[in-house]
Amino acid sequence: MEYQTHARHMNDIQENKTLALTIRDLSPGKHKYTARVARVQLSRSLEALAKWDKLWVHSVVGIKDPQPWGMKIVEELGITVPGKPYSDIYEVLAKM
Amino acid sequence: MNHTAVEEKIPVEKQAGEVAKDQRSFIETLRRTGDVVTVDREVHWDLELGAISRRATEMDGPAIVFKNITDYPGQSIFVNPISTWRRAAVTLGLPAHAKISEIYAEYIRKDTNAIPPVEVKDAVCRDVIVRGKDVDVTNLATPMIHAGDGGRYLGTWCIVVSKDPDTGWMNWGTYRFMIHNTQYLSGWPFPPSHCGTILQQKYVPQNKPMPLAIIMGADQSSHLAATSTTRIGRDEASLAGGLAGRPIEIARCLDSDLTFPACAEVVLEGEILPDQIAHEGPYGEYPGYRSGEMGAGILMKVNTIAHRKNPTLSMDCTGFKDCSSIVAALGGGVGIQRTLERAGVPVTGVYVPSEGAVHLCVVGVSKGGREVTEKVLHALTGRRTYMTKILVCDDDIDIFNLNEVIHAWATRCHSERGIIIKHVEGSAQALTPAYSQEERARRAGASAAFDVTFPPEWDRLETPVRATFDKMFPEEVQKKVLDNWKSYGL
Repeated sequence: MEYQTHARHMNDIQENKTLALTIRDLSPGKHKYTARVARVQLSRSLEALAKWDKLWVHSVVGIKDPQPWGMKIVEELGITVPGKPYSDIYEVLAKM
Repeated sequence: MNHTAVEEKIPVEKQAGEVAKDQRSFIETLRRTGDVVTVDREVHWDLELGAISRRATEMDGPAIVFKNITDYPGQSIFVNPISTWRRAAVTLGLPAHAKISEIYAEYIRKDTNAIPPVEVKDAVCRDVIVRGKDVDVTNLATPMIHAGDGGRYLGTWCIVVSKDPDTGWMNWGTYRFMIHNTQYLSGWPFPPSHCGTILQQKYVPQNKPMPLAIIMGADQSSHLAATSTTRIGRDEASLAGGLAGRPIEIARCLDSDLTFPACAEVVLEGEILPDQIAHEGPYGEYPGYRSGEMGAGILMKVNTIAHRKNPTLSMDCTGFKDCSSIVAALGGGVGIQRTLERAGVPVTGVYVPSEGAVHLCVVGVSKGGREVTEKVLHALTGRRTYMTKILVCDDDIDIFNLNEVIHAWATRCHSERGIIIKHVEGSAQALTPAYSQEERARRAGASAAFDVTFPPEWDRLETPVRATFDKMFPEEVQKKVLDNWKSYGL
């Protein structure tokens, strides 16, 4: 499976720790780009890239990092997250 | 296709025709004027449709009806309804070749003659009704418009309906909404917008969901009214009636008392949740950039979808010279004129050229000078600061003619004392590409006003005179030259 996400800062996407991210499913068909929230582990090791799902990361202005990450979903966190309208979802995800 | 003005011998107001009553009849009108093309071959919703539409927009091309969309048999998308002045003219019932100044004049005439709507029981969008757990917004043909966008934007050329629970005022606005998941849309009405203000002041403090409806494919008068810059409390449905020249038929939502144009092709009903959020953005927007505004939106749970049997959804392929640029130029320009009139500015006209992407505005005044320019700047940097460059021009300049405006700006604006800059906090438009990410987060920015007028205290007999045909020659010489123009072989 392949997914994509948008990072506020590309440096926030790191190996060797779990991250709560909004991930969009890139499977072809009507449901392409539908999103959910998950805790994931990322790696760029050859093994991870070969065996895990792929995650493509876009910058804050939508520029795609040409190198994907290997991604393992550790925990499904649902479709939405708690927060008031207009609050910063990245701050909420960082605390999850 | 030339979308600028050509000379008219008969006053435009005497040629104004009937305004199209719904989206389908508007498309037929555009077909007669040569301003729409139907694409019958299969086009994929994932980027191909957006790429075609974007290129057509940048070529000042026609509106497009896509009839054959991958994965969505039976559904169509009508793209860029009003992204040219020709189509703005047709929207108002004018000939497609009307001058920009004539389009403004017609808008102002109609704007001052609001006609209240009439409520009807039936809406044409109720051929198909899907509710509750059966709702899946991905069943609506929704394009991934630009590569790199946060998601598929369903709300681009839409009417978003919300209501102030205390006053009962119904707000029609146009705000972006994207698909988050099958039953959720995330959106970003600018926080100080009417919708954002109602939500933050009247629902969030009470932890109450705010009923919301998103409408696509209505009559263009209603869409135009929804994009207009109006004061809080003004009824956009009545403005739409004024623009149409007849009452707009409105229908009531199935799940709330919100009302919408009964001719709409698609209606999504739901509520903005006061305690849940989801990722929104980024999105290639009307300033002509994807500026990085994302992750701080609002979340709509969609409870009901109603649509015609073979619906035609509506879409603005946002970016440089999109529908927003034209409608903001029109409704926004008139709104700015009203604001300046209330502020006591001797305004003679306002033009928001589409090339300026709702950041540049040209204000004509009967009396200029620094004091008037400061007054203009102050009036346009209140609740929302959209205009970051304001040119205040003498009224001998045709503000709708950018050649004249640039000439005047380059020559009359004193580079030292003719530029006034005002810093703003909390009201700046976060989509302005020049602002840093940190400034956007604070909605901080600035607006610059350029005094493009000769100081009013200057002696008129010593004020420079434009070295142009209409200023440098006596009227009888001008008339003789014009009468004999062809005989000179020119």
